Amino acid sequence: MSLIKIIPLQFSAVEELEIMLSIISNRFKIETRLSTRPFDMTPYFNPVRSQYNANEIIQQLVTSAGDDNKIVGITELDLFIPVLKYIFGQAYLGGSAALVSGHRLHNSRYGLAEDPKLYSDRLLKCLIHELGHAFGLKHCLKPGCVMVSTTYVEEMDQKSDIFCHTCQEELAELTA
Amino acid sequence: MMDNNLSILVVDDELSVRDSLSNWFIEDGYTVDTAEDAKVALKKIEAYHFHIILIDIKLPGMDGLELNRRIKTINEDTIVIIMTAFASVDSAVEALKDGAYDYVCKPFDPDAVTHIIRNASKSIQLSQENLSLQDRIKSLVNVEDIIGESEGILNVLEQVRVVAETDSTVIINGDSGTGKELIAKAIHMNSSRRFFPMVTVHCGAIAENLMESELFGHERGAFTGAQYARKGKFEMADGATLFLDEISTISMKMQIEILRVLETKKFTRVGGNREFSSDFRVICATNRDLATMVKNGEFREDLFYRLNVFSIDIPPLRERVEDIKLLSEHFVKLYADQMNKGTRHIGKRAAKALQNYAFPGNVRELENLIERAIVIGTGDTVQLKDLPFQQNIDKPTWESIQDMEHHHIESILKKYDWNISQAAKALGVDRVTLYSKIKKYKIEKGS
Repeated sequence: MSLIKIIPLQFSAVEELEIMLSIISNRFKIETRLSTRPFDMTPYFNPVRSQYNANEIIQQLVTSAGDDNKIVGITELDLFIPVLKYIFGQAYLGGSAALVSGHRLHNSRYGLAEDPKLYSDRLLKCLIHELGHAFGLKHCLKPGCVMVSTTYVEEMDQKSDIFCHTCQEELAELTA
Repeated sequence: MMDNNLSILVVDDELSVRDSLSNWFIEDGYTVDTAEDAKVALKKIEAYHFHIILIDIKLPGMDGLELNRRIKTINEDTIVIIMTAFASVDSAVEALKDGAYDYVCKPFDPDAVTHIIRNASKSIQLSQENLSLQDRIKSLVNVEDIIGESEGILNVLEQVRVVAETDSTVIINGDSGTGKELIAKAIHMNSSRRFFPMVTVHCGAIAENLMESELFGHERGAFTGAQYARKGKFEMADGATLFLDEISTISMKMQIEILRVLETKKFTRVGGNREFSSDFRVICATNRDLATMVKNGEFREDLFYRLNVFSIDIPPLRERVEDIKLLSEHFVKLYADQMNKGTRHIGKRAAKALQNYAFPGNVRELENLIERAIVIGTGDTVQLKDLPFQQNIDKPTWESIQDMEHHHIESILKKYDWNISQAAKALGVDRVTLYSKIKKYKIEKGS
């Protein structure tokens, strides 16, 4: 594997991402870069649901991933896949692209005071989790592992941003 | 990593739904397949057992409701989850009446679908556990269920009946494979302790240095690696039966320890000071003669007398030949059912071969022979060729020396194509003697 590319898709807090680059690089032992390539999200907007179609965005991201690279899009927009009301992120197991949304990770969305540190932590967990899938990791049952499946933010706060020993070993094999 | 043994089939005519759900479930470690309509789904369901099937209520051709009904006729236990739009909730309710497990409205809340699948998985796990428990209950031993009508086994069963009602210590003597543990279970299951487990210690299988901890348990830090306190078998057998298999293999040192516990019913864990007491009944088994071992100084006399309150001797299978037929038929039915085979009978030659065999490995050997025969056999009857010893079985069982001589001469004549000179030479007699033997036994060419 030669590179992990993170591409902001209507995501303003780019400085946050720069801090996360070294953490992600360290977790996956792969060079991680920020891509500044423009990406138009308009075609993926679904007016009926007022959300953006994650499947279609990922399909587009795959075409720009490049050989042996993983690309992960990050956005502030609300994402959906046709069968689900919303998603925090999406990736195909062993695929080359992943997608993460910070839209539902804000405390304010749940009537609580905004907490930038907590938001940033959640975003990092989402990024590592979806990238984990893109590298071929399945969901994990070990409490605290970043690969634990989460469907609401409270669950996300209960897990860490690191892989458990088993997932770490599995990842090492997958990336070898 | 999550690895489920469960399989899911997603039936939906929309590719995006199939792909999204399939990806979702694969990440959770399920085995997933998809079908775009009911026809494809039914083909896949007939070829493979899916634990959970998600069906969109609106499908081209046969709709989801009809598909649900068809699935229930193929496998009633399959969990069907109906996917529906809000507009068709009434139809989803109809599906529930037809045996569907649950329904979800599209688009799903990720949390809701996760919970439904987890609950369905738990439900499958529970019914699998239920089946396994039912099997275990079936395998509990009733005296009436022990196979055999020979005098030897009937004697044993009568002794089991008598001793089960008491709380006496029992020694079961018998060769390897005669069913000592089965008899121990029968005693336990017919005793007042049957509501507690029978705790088994295979003394011969436990290393000498681990035996103490195995029997008495140990406290945390009692020795290197003892990170946690652990109950021993004496403690676990409180209120129950302790079955000490192969008691003859335990060391002299451990014999002293066991004797002390049997006398006081009190002990301490390894590395601990706290005294525990336990109310257990001891049944032990041996394939060696403990009395002889006592004479030879290999087994403590005091422990022998403590254990030898009631003794049951199980005869070897060769001494109860009349049970071979019944046992064989029992094992044929047992393994044919387990392997879903139609084998129900034992052929005449196979039955004769079994009757004539000495079974040094006793009932265990007979059971293995039949299991093997069911595996390799075809048709509804166990044939001689399915048994591993047919080459020995065709040998005639002559009673007298004359019979033996008759058949031997006949076979040598056949071997040398009735060339008298060669046959006589091979037999070590002259031609005249051979002629007289042929006449005596009325052996004819071509017979």
